[in-house]
Amino acid sequence: MHQNDTTRHASAAALALALGAALNFAAAPAIAADAAKEKCYGVAMKGKNDCKAGAGTSCAGSSTKDYQGNAWTYVPAGTCEKTASPTSPTGMGQLKEFKEKKA
Amino acid sequence: MSGVADNAAFAAALLDPGRPAPPGLVSWNGSDPAQRFAVYRNNVTTSLIDALSETFPVVRQLVGATFFRAMAREFVRRSPPRSPVLAWYGDLFADFVAAFPPAAGLPYLADMARLEYARVLAFHAADVAPAAVADVAACLAEPVILPSLRLHLQPSLRLIDSPFAIVSLWGAHQGVGDLATIDPLQPECALVLRHGLSLAVMTVPPAAGRFIAALQSGAALGDAVREASTEDAPFDPTPALGLLIAHDLLVGVGQSPGQQGEQP
Repeated sequence: MHQNDTTRHASAAALALALGAALNFAAAPAIAADAAKEKCYGVAMKGKNDCKAGAGTSCAGSSTKDYQGNAWTYVPAGTCEKTASPTSPTGMGQLKEFKEKKA
Repeated sequence: MSGVADNAAFAAALLDPGRPAPPGLVSWNGSDPAQRFAVYRNNVTTSLIDALSETFPVVRQLVGATFFRAMAREFVRRSPPRSPVLAWYGDLFADFVAAFPPAAGLPYLADMARLEYARVLAFHAADVAPAAVADVAACLAEPVILPSLRLHLQPSLRLIDSPFAIVSLWGAHQGVGDLATIDPLQPECALVLRHGLSLAVMTVPPAAGRFIAALQSGAALGDAVREASTEDAPFDPTPALGLLIAHDLLVGVGQSPGQQGEQP
């Protein structure tokens, strides 16, 4: 807001340089595809477009039994078993230790 | 049955198996209406859990299906859909997960839910044509206007700045990288974008994340650069601008309204 002219103009020149350089990315679409894979921005990862929501009803009348309060005797047990765990005493504990702790 | 009160009673009973079936139900073949209602209630709950399960597949894999469905059931009963569009269901799920004690052992779980919901939002966001290169290049002719220039970005673009390695963890569930070698406590700023019908998730440096977030909130280019700079590290916007342009994320440029005189 209260930048003096020198700062503002220096900034404008730098921005012109940056925007000018950045525009080179638009020049060649083939390069644009590669830009996503440049190391400084990591690797772009695609997931499956499984955003489909709205699975239908379950089969009529068959009751998926409710998990009641005792559901919380379950502990997370997915692929996190292979993931480092920040809250375990060792800092890198595995899920197995959670299980023992919570059970 | 009719009336608002009856509808409210019906809706409440639908979410709480502890409640009796709402009054006034009849069945066409003489079977017990309470039993038929229980089936319907079960189907409603199950279908909403299924919807969450499809929207949050990595959260589900991280905790396992049993835990996920139990957690989702709690959420469904506390936060039934507010929109008839099932795709939007789960906008509050990340906040719920963050405050859900049994999931406290996986502190990154809530941000993973945010990332997965951001993908849904990005997938369904409006299509906007990218800005013409000539329009952007024209701004270079008058550098003095650049600090007050506004860059308009694709509505599908989403940022999640997380203290956890959510992009690496997410990627490991897409077959990119090895889960065992990821340190979940490594902060990552996630960028979610869409090309046509395909979504991409990538990390950007924290400063670039601040820069893009500032642009998204309507900050002028000069202010966004200042926002991203720290005292010891002035921000060079070139790579971030290159990224935005290369991915067709820049959809327009314009001057800030009122950039000529300050408002009184």
